[in-house]
Parts: sequence; structure tokens; C-alpha cells
Amino acid sequence: MMVHVSGALLRFTDYRRVISVAAPTVGAALTTLADEYQSLKPVLFDREGRVRATHQIFLNGEQLTREQLTRPAGDADSVDLLLAVSGG
Amino acid sequence: MPRWDAYQMSVDASCFTPLGLQPTAVCRLGFTAAGRWLSEHALSHRRLVTEHQTGLVLWSAQLIFDEPVRFFDSDCLEMRVMGRIRGGGTQFECEVEVDSARGITTRMQACCVPLRLDGDAALSGAPARLGPGVIEAFRPDEIEVRPHRSPAPGLLAAILRDGTELARGRTPFVIHRHQCEVADQWYWPEAVSLASGGREELVQVESGRIPGLRFALSTPLRRLDLLFNRPFFLFDEGTVLSSAHEWQGRLLFVHELIGTEGGEPRALAIEQFTTLRSDRVWD
Repeated sequence: MMVHVSGALLRFTDYRRVISVAAPTVGAALTTLADEYQSLKPVLFDREGRVRATHQIFLNGEQLTREQLTRPAGDADSVDLLLAVSGG
Repeated sequence: MPRWDAYQMSVDASCFTPLGLQPTAVCRLGFTAAGRWLSEHALSHRRLVTEHQTGLVLWSAQLIFDEPVRFFDSDCLEMRVMGRIRGGGTQFECEVEVDSARGITTRMQACCVPLRLDGDAALSGAPARLGPGVIEAFRPDEIEVRPHRSPAPGLLAAILRDGTELARGRTPFVIHRHQCEVADQWYWPEAVSLASGGREELVQVESGRIPGLRFALSTPLRRLDLLFNRPFFLFDEGTVLSSAHEWQGRLLFVHELIGTEGGEPRALAIEQFTTLRSDRVWD
């Protein structure tokens, strides 16, 4: 699937905005992405390995809850990773 | 009495247009003044982030220009600033006055929403009350129970209900890093720059049909209301939807800053100029 990264998260993916990730589910794709971009891992996941609540995950435009990250996704699917707000 | 700080600030020509102090510059100077007040009386913005895991995001602001403060008035601006907590710690508000040597004042009131930061390098966070460790730095008379309520939604409703739309236009934009703050999130005064740009583009396109629109290029802004729903981030694309209105004898511009997702504007800016029919100062 194609993962779209934007805004404040770009510096953690070396400014790559669209990244192809091979994984069976949305959650697995995020884990794979964080493995590839190590500095993204603590930004995206908390210490317990859960996706931080401050991130919004969309699958083909539909916002997913944390529980829905097990949703299967294939090559044709698109995942958007958004940060709602930062506190600088 | 709430604590007010007063100091002089040297300014250069970049803060001004031929008409007076730039609204964007007022926002920048004002927010810097608020940071200075916080640092003097409570704790610095840096410590707020690093030690209290608290960020501040602007939600609402109003600027009122009594008369234009001009570059040739003086070498320095006289700044006055105070801060307070409102709404049980759900808001931090600052009031800033910018005076010229001629005694003319520009006023800014800005209300921020505190964020509880999640602790990651992206400074991600969610709205939360200020912690007791921050609140205790404020005096009792700097803590107001009543929350700030933005006048912008009511003003917009009145303009749309009772005003006459004169023209409409759209100006696309992309957010680049020089427009952002430390978290690669836009620095809110950029909304003022983008709205001003939207107005100037609209006037250029439509002033042949409506010559009165040029008033918004030849006279200084009198009042500006800002409301923020969601920030723009680095490389985000957006559009300024600008519309010119006549309302209660005044020329106004409504600017909705929308992202590619559409829907609710991420920011709203309403610019008011003095009356179309006389030189009476805005009241």
C-alpha cells in the first residue's frame, strides 16, 4: 500500500511524502514504516507500542480508530498519516 | 492589578507598509511580547514545553488599529503586554498595546489553547487544562473563570445575513518552512499574510468592476478578527477563499483558509476597513 506522510512528520521520513509499504494490515504497515525510518518510531508509537492518540490514520479516506488498524490493506490501498496539531 | 510589562522595541522598515504597521508584524511583535511576559512572570515558552509538556496554540485573536502607526513616527515602538489564564486553565490570553510616539495605539488580544504534549519529537499534543505547576505562577487577578469567546463567528453570521457581497475570489498557497515554527507547523501570523494576499489579489482582479474595492489598498486596516480551527503544516496546500462585503457602511473582507480536504475552514480572518462613505474612524 502507499502511505502518505505530511506536515510535521515529514522530517522523520527524510521528507518522503509517499512511501510504498508491503504489509498485510494498516497497523503492520505503520510498524514496517517505523522500522524503516527509526526516528519515526517514537513519534508514531508510545512506549507500549501503541499508535499515539495524537495521530490520525486514514485508509482510503476513512478515518480508522486504534482498534481498526488491524484492517487488511493491499497494494491498491492508500493510507494517510496525519498529525492533528503540534504544540510548538 | 494584573501585571503589565512595558518596554521599547526598535523597529525597522520591514514591519511597515506605506500605510502603517503591518498587521502581520503586530501579530509577531505581540506574540513575542506575550512570550516575554510569560518568561518574566511565569516561565518561558521553552520551559513550558520541555518541563511542563505544555504547548500553546493560538485559537482566537482580535487586532484594533486606532490610527496607523507609521515608520516615520519614531525610532521605537512602546510595547505594553499582560497575560492571564481564562476558562479554568483551558485558555491563556494576552493583551498587547503597541504605541507610537504620537500616542496612537494598536491593540491585540490573543487567546491560546494549551496542549498537553505527548512527549515525542514532533511535539504532538491534545487540548488540555494548564497544570497546577503553571497556574500557580499567575496572580489571582490574572486568573479569570469566564472563558474568552471569539467574536468572529457572530460577526461572520451578521455579515452574511445583513451585508452585501461585492466580489469573491480564491488564491492558492503552499506552506513552506520559513512560514512555520519549531514543529514544522505554520506560525499563526502567516494566516494574516495569506489573508492580506487574498484581499490584494481580489482587489486587483475585481476593482475594474467595483472601483470602491481599491479603498482596501489605499487605506489601512482598522480591525482584524482571527479564528483558528486547525493548523497548516509544512508543504500543506491550501486556498484562501476571499469575499468582499459592504456591511453597515464598512468595507469588509472575509477570508476562509481551507485545506485540500475541504469542509470547515482551518482558519478564518475578517478584515474591516473604515466606512466606504466617509473617513470616519472605525468604532
